[in-house]
This record gives sequence, structure tokens and C-alpha cells, in this order.
Amino acid sequence: MMEHIEYFIYIWPDLFKGLIVSLQLSVGALLLGLAIGLPMALMRTYGRGLVKTLAVMYIELIRGTPMIVQLFLIYYGLPDMGILLDRLPAAIIALGINSSAYQAEYFRGAILSIDEGQGLAAQALGMTKQQAIVNIILPQALRLVLPPWSNEVIYMVKYTSVAFLIAVPELMARGKMLISKTFKPLETLFWVGVIYVIVLSIIAKIVDMVEKKLAIPGFQMSREDY
Amino acid sequence: MPKPILRIENLYKKFRDTEVLKGLSLTVYEGEVVVIIGPSGTGKSTLLRCINRLTEPDSGDIYLEEQKIEPGKSNFSQIRQQIGMVFQDFNLFNHLTAVQNVAIGPIKVKKMDKKKAYDLAMKELERVGMAEKAGNYPAELSGGQKQRVAIARALAMDPKIMLFDEPTSALDPELIGEVLEVMKDLANAGMTMMVVSHEMGFAREAADRIVFLEDGVVAEEGSPEKIFNNPERERTREFISKIARLNSGGDDRGLNNK
Amino acid sequence: MGINFAANKVLASIPYLLGGVWITLQITVLALALSTVLGILLSLLRVYGKGIFHRFSLIYSRLMRSLPLLVILFMLYFLGSEIIDIPAYWAIVLALAFHSAAYQSEIFRGAIQSISKGQMEAALALGMSKYQGIFSVILPQALRRAIPYWANEATIVLKDSSLAYALGVTELMRRGEYVSARTSQPMLTYIIVGLIYLILTYAFTKSMNRIEYKVRIPGLER
Repeated sequence: MMEHIEYFIYIWPDLFKGLIVSLQLSVGALLLGLAIGLPMALMRTYGRGLVKTLAVMYIELIRGTPMIVQLFLIYYGLPDMGILLDRLPAAIIALGINSSAYQAEYFRGAILSIDEGQGLAAQALGMTKQQAIVNIILPQALRLVLPPWSNEVIYMVKYTSVAFLIAVPELMARGKMLISKTFKPLETLFWVGVIYVIVLSIIAKIVDMVEKKLAIPGFQMSREDY
Repeated sequence: MPKPILRIENLYKKFRDTEVLKGLSLTVYEGEVVVIIGPSGTGKSTLLRCINRLTEPDSGDIYLEEQKIEPGKSNFSQIRQQIGMVFQDFNLFNHLTAVQNVAIGPIKVKKMDKKKAYDLAMKELERVGMAEKAGNYPAELSGGQKQRVAIARALAMDPKIMLFDEPTSALDPELIGEVLEVMKDLANAGMTMMVVSHEMGFAREAADRIVFLEDGVVAEEGSPEKIFNNPERERTREFISKIARLNSGGDDRGLNNK
Repeated sequence: MGINFAANKVLASIPYLLGGVWITLQITVLALALSTVLGILLSLLRVYGKGIFHRFSLIYSRLMRSLPLLVILFMLYFLGSEIIDIPAYWAIVLALAFHSAAYQSEIFRGAIQSISKGQMEAALALGMSKYQGIFSVILPQALRRAIPYWANEATIVLKDSSLAYALGVTELMRRGEYVSARTSQPMLTYIIVGLIYLILTYAFTKSMNRIEYKVRIPGLER
């Protein structure tokens, strides 16, 4: 028993550094995803013609292809076109773009599920379509989107492990490196797993608390819908 | 001397902190149509559900023809088969057509041969006037049609007693009549029935006995004439007149004599 | 000019890539078959199971959804070095299966719980056992409701099969990488690989839509 603890203490500093990188990736990607995803959702929901088509194509293209393909395209493919990116930025951009497509659909779902009457009532009061969207629809949509969006947070933290494939030194990569060094695959993976489980449980709890604080009574989408 | 089909003794049931049934006792005889009335929340539905154990009573005994109803005993499924239940929300199996709904009980529970089961099902559907909708799914039927199929489904099990839990409460007014007609036919054919309902017209025409439930016990019972025209207790009279006024087809003619 | 020549090399590799599609599909279908059975079982344990069965299902779901697929994958693969030898191909199939089963158990659980209580009550009132009620009344309806969410999860499994790359299994993604390295045309190669996946997911989604339509219950709008 003691030797297991000793081993953990031995590998912890490396794993911790990896964890920090994983979290950096997550935060960066989620914010990027939000910054692109929300406009995309609006474009797809309210846009017409070219605008809508572009949004649809963007979303469906990204959702229809694996994360790793997108990652390799950005890290290995862009240099072909003269854009050289370091691993970490490449990973954040790839993860972010990937997330943006899914976030766009969550926002769209939330917007669509808001009763049509809300927008009509707003316009009856004299608001323009834009005002109605910003003041009435979006505030409600942002509440409705919390459960699937918080799912996305959890998903993202797990998915940062894919960055390991382009040698970003996040948690999974560190684990792999340690395995090569210590030849203790199962033990190392066990601790890596434990860290993921604990970190994700904490995030899940935080996300729960935020949901409860922001929730409007009687007004929620079930998390399992996604 | 008509034999008792159902004997309920000292039924107690508590939900959270509210005691809904407080030592209720009642006997239903063969061929009798008993209509149970009373204010909301007095445990009328609970009473029915305790009989076939969809709800577990806290204490008390229920006997079906001298056989004590005890879940966990090997004859329990057999006892449930002999008690037919019709729900307020119909509860037809959505993924099955009307005839399949009626046939599934005999097939799965009585292990009947499929062809025999379907013949039986069609017969029961004809009895309730739904034979031509045999191949339709519940979602394609109106409320009244659904309830009639539900009645056929219960009848297909050849029960000794039929329990009706507010069978028309979920129906639009114009659909209530067709269901009550089927229930009246059933009564005339000699089926033992226990009906929880607000339909005073039906109670007046078809009931042999009316039971007024209040405070978790039988507050008063008697023939329709007695209960509607000459109730013994004040509370009974109040309730009757309130219901009569709310009922489109109801009236409290008999009570104006007071 | 040089670009065109290189592009030709990539295009010439397409048959090789398509060979990878076959492996990808194998992996996906196997993983889906295993995970669906496991997912339904877990959901039944979760909804109807008591005590240890219920808790096992709950813990399994929480645990598997808290671990990245890559971690599960490597754990299974390295089990080989200590306990049993699991070839890379089966490591990815099992990893996908165990991981997806957790998500599917939540999907089926949601579907089962969305069936109104009255359905089971009517079944019991007819004298059916709980077991009969579950299999003859609840599941036929619940599984239909689960189809869209299941189909979504299935496309995720299809896409995640690309992580077999990490173990060197020569499915589509790994072959893409070979072609990209051999032809030095990563951009073009991965675009083609991406398009192939896109076609696969599109075809799959369309088939699921058709299946959903075919097994639908007439009269019930979603």
C-alpha cells in the first residue's frame, strides 16, 4: 500500500503540470467555442440565404468529422498554407472550433424551444426584432442552455486528452511519458484516471451550483436531452 | 343470498402525513353496481388502487371471494387477473393497436393461444362497439374510443369484478355518453362493478348502491333514491347538491323537497 | 505544378484510405452492438434494480463518463502487459463499448422514465409480472423514444473510432496519417479523410432517420 502512495507522490508533480495544461486548454477552447458558437447559432436560427447556409455548413462539417481530423488539419495541414502554429495554440484552436459547432447547436436548440409567443409579445410592445432577440429571447435561451452547456464543459475537459496526439503536455500525455519512464502502465493510468474523476466531479458540482443559482423556477431543459 | 365478491376490512392508508383511508370497510356483492362518491382527496381512487395493490395499504385486509389478497403469494397474478381496472387516463399501450391491446393480456398472462386471443379480443371490441377500429393505434382514437377499448381490454381477462377509476373525468363532454352507455350495458349484463365517478346520471340509473366516502371512511351508503332524495347526513346532502349543480346533466330535484 | 503532382499522389491513395473505412465500420458496429446491449441492461438496473444493482449501474455510469476515452483505451490495452493480452483492435472496440455504454445507459434511462407510470400500472392490473411489463410494454415504447438520442451517440462512436490511431490500428485515421506522411500533403489528405467521415456520418444519420420513421407508432407525433 505504501509503495503505491509513494509512487503517486513521485509522479504527482508531473501530472499536476499536465493537469494545469489540460485546464488551460479547456478554458481556452470553451471560450473560443462560445465566441464562435453563439454567433453561429444566431446566424443559423435567424439568418437567411448565404448567411444561414454558411452557418449550417460550418456546423454540420465540424460535427460530422472526428476531433482528431480537425486537430491534425490545423496542426499539420495549416503549415502547408504557410500558417505555422505551436502545439498549444493549435490544440486550443482545434478544440475551440470543434466545441463551437456543438455549442451552436445547443444555443439553437435553446432558442428554438422558447415559445414563439415571447417574440411576438415583444414585437407587439414595439421592439424591433433585434431588441426582442437581445432583451427577451437570449436571456431566456442562456438559462435554458445551461444544462447542455455544462455538459459541454465536462466533455471538453475530457476531450483535451486528444491533444496528447500532437504531443501537447497535458495530463494524458504526461501520463504516457511517465509510463515510458517507469514501466508502470496500469498504476500510472490508475492515478491519471483518479485525477480526471476527481477534477470532473468538482467541475460537475460547481456547474450544478451555478445552474441552481441562475435557474428560473420551472424553466429548464433536462440535461439528459443531450 | 348474493355472495360477496369483494370484502374490504379496516383499510388504512397514509400518504406522507395525510391519512387518506382511516379504517374503511366495505363489501361488494355479486352483480352489484356500487358507485363511490365523495369530495376530492378522500381516497376514492386510493381505495380502488389498494384493491389490486397498485397502491400498498398500510393495514387492513381485502378478500376476493374469500381469497385474501396478498402480494408475494403465488396466486397474486391470478387474483389481479380477476380484477379488471379501467383508469381515468385510459393507459392503453401506445405501441399496440386496439385489438393487440385487448389481446395482450390473454396472450401474456393467460398464456392463451394467439389465434384464440385475437378472436376473443375482437369479440370484446364488438361488445364495446369498437370492432372497426381494431387495427388503429391509441393515438388515432378519440378519448371516448380509447376508454371503450380500455374497458374491452379489462373484460378480455374475464374478471369477477370491474373497477372504474373516474372513467369519464378525462373526457370531453360529448364523448362521455358513449362510455357510460357501455358501462350501463355491462351493468345490465350482471357484471359486478365498483365505480368512482361524478356522473350522477349514471349513478342514478345504473347503481344498486351508492357509497359516500368522507374522511377516509364510509360516511353513508344506500340506494340511489335514498342518497339522492333522502340522505341521512347533512354532509351527504351538501355534497350531492354541489355536484348536481356542477354537472351539466345533473339536477337536485329530489333535494328541493327539504 | 508541383502541387498538382502531389495532389495526384494523394488521390491515388484513396483506395487505401477506403480500405480503412472497412476497419472503421467494423470497429464501430462491434462497439455499438456491445454498448447498446450493455447500455440497455445498465438502464434497467438503474431504473428497476434495487440496492447493489442500482448502485452498480449508477457508479458505472458516473465513472465511465468521468474518464476520457483515451485513458480507458490505454488502460485496456495495458492490461495486456499485466493480466490478459488484449490486441489493439479489441482494445479500441472494448474501450468504445464501455465508454459509450455509460452514455447510452443515461439515454435509455431517460427514455424509460419518460414513459408514463400508467402504462406499467395497466400492465400490472392485467396480471402481468413486472418483468412482462418491462419487456412487453415499457421497452418497446422507450426504445423508440431513444432512437434520435441513440443515433447521435452512435455517430459519436463512429467519430471516436478514429482514436484507434493512438494504438496504431490501421483504420481510416491511421491510414490517413500514413498517406499524409508519404505524400507530404497533410492538408489535402486530411480534408479527404474528413470528407469520408462526413459521408459516413451523413449516411448513418439518414439511415437512422429512415429507421425511426419505419418503426414509429402511427398517430404519435414527437
